[in-house]
Amino acid sequence: MRANRLACLVIGAGAMLGAAGAGAGQWRDGAQVYEKVCAHCHEANVGPVLKGRQLPQVYIERVVRHGNRAMPSFRPSEIDDAALAEVAQLIGASAPLTKE
Amino acid sequence: MSSNNRVLPKGVTAGDFDKAMQEIRAIVGAEYVLVDEEPLAPYNKIMVPVADAQHAPSAAVMPDGVEQVRKIMKVANTYRVPVYPISTGKNIGYGSAAPVERGQIVLDLRRMNRIIEVDAELCTALVEPGVTYQQLYDYLQEHNLPLWFSCPAPSAIAGPVGNMVDRGVGYTPYGEHFMFSCGMEVVLADGEVLRTGMGAMENSNTWQVFKWGYGPTLDGIFTQSNYGIVTKMGMWLMPAPPDFRPFCIQYPNETDITKIVDALRPLRIAMVIPNAVVIAHTLWEAPCTPVKRSDYVTGQGAISDDAVLKIQADHGIGAWNVYAGLYGTKETNDANWKIIEAVAAATGGKIITEEASRGSQALQYRFDLMKGKPNLGEFGLYNWRGGGGSIWFAPVSQAKGSETLKQMKMAKEILGKYGFDYVGEFIVGWRDMHHVIDLLYDRSDDTQTKNAYACYDELLHTFAKEGYGMYRASTAFAEKVAATYGPVKRDVEKRLKQALDPNNIIAPGRCGISL
Ligand SMILES: Cc1cc2nc3c(=O)[nH]c(=O)nc-3n(C[C@H](O)[C@H](O)[C@H](O)COP(=O)(O)OP(=O)(O)OC[C@H]3O[C@@H](n4cnc5c(N)ncnc54)[C@H](O)[C@@H]3O)c2cc1C
Repeated sequence: MRANRLACLVIGAGAMLGAAGAGAGQWRDGAQVYEKVCAHCHEANVGPVLKGRQLPQVYIERVVRHGNRAMPSFRPSEIDDAALAEVAQLIGASAPLTKE
Repeated sequence: MSSNNRVLPKGVTAGDFDKAMQEIRAIVGAEYVLVDEEPLAPYNKIMVPVADAQHAPSAAVMPDGVEQVRKIMKVANTYRVPVYPISTGKNIGYGSAAPVERGQIVLDLRRMNRIIEVDAELCTALVEPGVTYQQLYDYLQEHNLPLWFSCPAPSAIAGPVGNMVDRGVGYTPYGEHFMFSCGMEVVLADGEVLRTGMGAMENSNTWQVFKWGYGPTLDGIFTQSNYGIVTKMGMWLMPAPPDFRPFCIQYPNETDITKIVDALRPLRIAMVIPNAVVIAHTLWEAPCTPVKRSDYVTGQGAISDDAVLKIQADHGIGAWNVYAGLYGTKETNDANWKIIEAVAAATGGKIITEEASRGSQALQYRFDLMKGKPNLGEFGLYNWRGGGGSIWFAPVSQAKGSETLKQMKMAKEILGKYGFDYVGEFIVGWRDMHHVIDLLYDRSDDTQTKNAYACYDELLHTFAKEGYGMYRASTAFAEKVAATYGPVKRDVEKRLKQALDPNNIIAPGRCGISL
């Protein structure tokens, strides 16, 4: 059992980044960025569907950094270059979404 | 880097600026300092109706801790370079991550994203500015903590510190976010670190539980201001209730707003309904449903009342759509539910329960927000007009029916004059309402952009004449909104600025405060 007073002290969290889940504040991989950020609009009937369109990686990276009309821009402090490259690659190579 | 049209802070030479940046690079590391136009692009993407250039940053700096922030403040003072702090930087429709004045250095605190402490017994958290609501949500889930927080609509990408310092709102019983914050750590302009409330005492363990401390309570002066850089914030979390019952009540007529407000106010004040009730107009619901504007409007100009009626009929949307919830045990909620049913019946409203709402995109994201589950459903608003233009017009109203109808009519008329639709909602604080209107326009169209600016300006001044002030405003209108609050308040704000930041280096111009 967890101690009753659960004071989750995460001071010096740098040491445990990457180890845990999304609550740790560092992206595990591009798939997690997609799930936690992109999918909220692009798989929710809010923004256009991205998967299965063979969108070029450079195009995705540019739109993420610059934004585009209603699409907000995302800074490297939010999605670092490596995570962005991964998510862009993943989207570009993805199969179309299947509608149930 | 030595091009002539390079963006620089006001009154700072290129030489001094370069020296300052060199010193800041030594503090945070070169990769966390951006000065060129291309990498700075994400800091200059705005939706408000003014030129990007007006809010272009000269640089962005991404510190990773309080010590780095302190050192940056020293450099900023030496070279008199202004810094504009942001936390998660998603103040979309209020200025986004761009500085209030051209040339300021964005101090981007997003990398400082530690959830420092969650106390499950006291239901409190202590977080850094870069923490997003999504991150906090995932953290609570991963640690099996049955605790809820309140979040604004763009919750998946925004965060508690940035939202609270701009005095944002959410939709659970803890929806007035500043009220439910408890204790801040603030780096002042001279690099001094202040902990507010009980945090001022060394070794205090009551920083996150007692807000006031001894002597003046200072927290308020660090919200909607530029007196310091908030580097930690305490916040209260709500125990997940055993029974949560969200609902929507739809009303058929625009004028029903009077009876809705008058019927709900007593329930809200008495906390039968404990959360921030939302009363959303058809045209807020429609884009989030989603309904396409082009199916109902052709040509320029605002949508007609007839078209709005048709949308209501075609899509089963009310003229007004009330969102609220019961938070309690099954027994208390059963009892209170009877009151809700009686009020709805007496006022001619149609209740939609959670079960009946399934499949409705517009209802789902609201119900999720009322339990603090992050999403981005409200971005559907931007599909209404298209073109990426948005500025929030957000006056405060008394929670009285006659007042809300008056404000709604005033706003609708002025918006219509400029060809814009009334896309509005009332968020019932407790005795007040935030009347939030999304002034949506096509930012790729110069005429619409100019009209949007002029329209906001007329709204602002017409409302001010009637004694209605803004709860919050975008960077584009900071000065004009501040001016509506009169000279004495502004003079005091200036004196505080003089005392705390004599070199005027923290976000000069934010909320109209500058030396
Ligand atoms: C579709 C949509 C719906 C929205 N709905 C809501 C809503 O329901 N409720 C609501 O409140 N807002 C809403 N907003 C507005 C806004 O997006 C949110 O308020 C958001 O939380 C603000 O962005 P942020 O949290 O990233 O704060 P930031 O952008 O980081 O901060 C906001 C401002 O506060 C100041 N600041 C930030 N951090 C610090 C610091 N550490 N020290 C000193 N000053 C600082 C800066 O001036 C900054 O510009 C909505 C926006 C959109 C697009």
